[in-house]
Amino acid sequence: MSPASRMRTAAEGEGRGTRHSPGAERGEGEQRALLEVTDLAVEFRTPDGVVRAVDGLSYRVEAGRTLAIVGESGSGKSVSSLAVMGLLPDTARVARGSVRLAGTDLLTLSRKEHRARCGEQVAMVFQDALAALNPVHTVGFQLTEALRARRGLSRADARRRAVELLDLVKVPNAKARVKEYPHQFSGGMRQRVMIASALAMDPDVLIADEPTTALDVTVQAQVLRLLAEIQAERNMGLVLITHDLGVVAGVADDVTVMYAGRAVEQAPVVPVYTTPAHPYTRALLRSIPSAAGTGRLPVIPGRPPSPAAMPPGCPFHPRCDAARDICRTEVPPAAHPAEGRMSACHFASDIMAGREPAPEAGVTTSASGTSVPGPKGDPDD
Amino acid sequence: MTESRPAGAGLVDERPEPGESVLEVRDLVKHYPVRSGLLRRSAAAVKAVDGVSLTLDRGRTLGLVGESGSGKSTLARVLVGVETPTSGQVLVDGEDVTGRSRAGRKQLRRDVQMVFQDPYTSLNPRMSVNEIVGEPFAIHGIDPAGGRRAAVGELLELVGLDPDHANRYPHQFSGGQRQRVGIARALALRPKILVCDEPVSALDVSVQGQVINLLEDLQEELGLSYLFVAHDLGVVRHIAHDVAVMYLGRIVEQGPEAEVYDAAQHPYTQALLSAVPVPDPSVRLVPAGGAVGASSSDGAVAGAGQPGVGGIVLEGDPPSPVDPPSGCPFHTRCWLAPTLPEARREAASADAVRGLRLIPQVCETDVPALVARGSADAGAAGAAAHVAACHFARELATPGTGA
Repeated sequence: MSPASRMRTAAEGEGRGTRHSPGAERGEGEQRALLEVTDLAVEFRTPDGVVRAVDGLSYRVEAGRTLAIVGESGSGKSVSSLAVMGLLPDTARVARGSVRLAGTDLLTLSRKEHRARCGEQVAMVFQDALAALNPVHTVGFQLTEALRARRGLSRADARRRAVELLDLVKVPNAKARVKEYPHQFSGGMRQRVMIASALAMDPDVLIADEPTTALDVTVQAQVLRLLAEIQAERNMGLVLITHDLGVVAGVADDVTVMYAGRAVEQAPVVPVYTTPAHPYTRALLRSIPSAAGTGRLPVIPGRPPSPAAMPPGCPFHPRCDAARDICRTEVPPAAHPAEGRMSACHFASDIMAGREPAPEAGVTTSASGTSVPGPKGDPDD
Repeated sequence: MTESRPAGAGLVDERPEPGESVLEVRDLVKHYPVRSGLLRRSAAAVKAVDGVSLTLDRGRTLGLVGESGSGKSTLARVLVGVETPTSGQVLVDGEDVTGRSRAGRKQLRRDVQMVFQDPYTSLNPRMSVNEIVGEPFAIHGIDPAGGRRAAVGELLELVGLDPDHANRYPHQFSGGQRQRVGIARALALRPKILVCDEPVSALDVSVQGQVINLLEDLQEELGLSYLFVAHDLGVVRHIAHDVAVMYLGRIVEQGPEAEVYDAAQHPYTQALLSAVPVPDPSVRLVPAGGAVGASSSDGAVAGAGQPGVGGIVLEGDPPSPVDPPSGCPFHTRCWLAPTLPEARREAASADAVRGLRLIPQVCETDVPALVARGSADAGAAGAAAHVAACHFARELATPGTGA
């Protein structure tokens, strides 16, 4: 079943008994969604007026699976997860859409209830562990802050639990280290602490926003492995937000590619890499420096549009090497070029098959034309 | 247990000159004192760079890779004259520039310029692009032919920016454009060498390529030499002709790009390469479909610390450069050493099992020299020799552990 059609059935069939029940019915066959985001739109108030940072994003997170949300800075990948968590800044608001967690639409709740719900069932790991941890409290104190506040754990129990948590994320010598402060931990160890504190409430879904971007490759590999192990053990749903297509290929089961606030492609991980169905995905994959390539690096000309000045039609058309007239005027609807795949491109099937879309009468071959304020750039061709 | 200077550091200098070298680093050391106590006496030293020798040829790119704390950025800062080395020599066009006076260092900066990592903090937000790119002229008291403004316009054009935007301020540009401004500034004094410290790591993938292509074009056009410091091994592979791998202030492997990437000799290089996520879902870091449950964690455990499905995953973090391990600096994290027959032989004679990690004694006592091993040194006539600092490097010549 395609993610989108799954999404539809799940949206319609709310009463299908796919209620959340921790640990029960490990996923055989049709997976139930732990977290389901439907048609989410987030707006920001700015001096230049209201801009839409996320526009119509839908995805679902299933038990034991990893969904990677890929995009460049400004694509809305982080904002969408803040909306899910109820952590949007005051200048932002959710314009439409729903976020269903165990059958409840979180967006209909008050901010307080929303956060309380998330605190129990959805946890988040941020990129910058040093900034996310409080420098004046010990690691052990911070790990169990939520447990003491929500579950009323005693100090002694909390300390015991903190040691368990650090053990869980394989921090050596956990017993001594709970008494240390964040600055005494290395970058990789701090990220482990972040993961441990996210696991404290035993969440069903973990949202990790660029969890390894600040880490060295050797440490990144350790942390990704750890996340995967913990996920498998607990049958947790994992949302991995990243810009690194190498990481995605290594750990994701499903992929959502975002561009300018929208999901442009959604599919299981293998076809995204073998037969990308959106020109943006294709161009991103080509622009990764590879072992084979020594000549000029294929690049995407220009740069992502500002949310305040979104081009008409398809948001990617000014940079697209396959753009046609229709792309400049009409926003592409979600196409389903194959089972389980979504691509927001007028020519999704052509792109997926590796064909050039048929030329239209009076179309110039060059895609760039309209307002790309990017550097006078060097498109590869 | 004598901490001897690696013999190989000297050897590298004596190998036949493959081309005309524009930058040569000889046995460079940069220690930062760690002061403590009332009198702020120097109690220890951070050995950021600990005996590095390098050669950069004209018109070529030397990639310098390593984890954070490996000393690669310190080395870059010493080369542009921001830091003075504790000992060792830096030769630009055959001339030693380390012992220079203030004025002499200023001269050095004309030849060696730097491109910084973060295009957001390396440009003064209160200066217009015209002022930023023209500042080197002002500092060095140069009046370029045709006037400063025209020169700035030319530089902006050279890096693919619109000269009409010279009156704008940094915040009016995107990250990629700012990095172009930084490159234009670095080129103002017509340097021979650009030291690029992570020049694209702050940029989005789609913009990264544009800047890399620009750097390659400029190299061809102006005959520049680059020292390209980066942690992204894919980017370095693309742009560099030669690659040096640093670990705890030392170079552990060095050679032509293809040889280092395809036939890595040092266990650290191999681990580094295998940890790079590959954009290919058939090379999984973790097994697909996490829902299979416990069985999927087996793979992860089995793969840890040894070459396997997901490659080599090193344990722990790099040790502190204040107190680097004795002998081979990598021995505490080395995945290879415990698997060697030498380790087992010595295990029998060792009176006590210290921990559970048995490695050959030589790794703990002797600093391995940076020398060519096995068949690799036969073809040293043409390109730079492929050298590695590992006592057991020859054991690694066998393929199969690559990424």
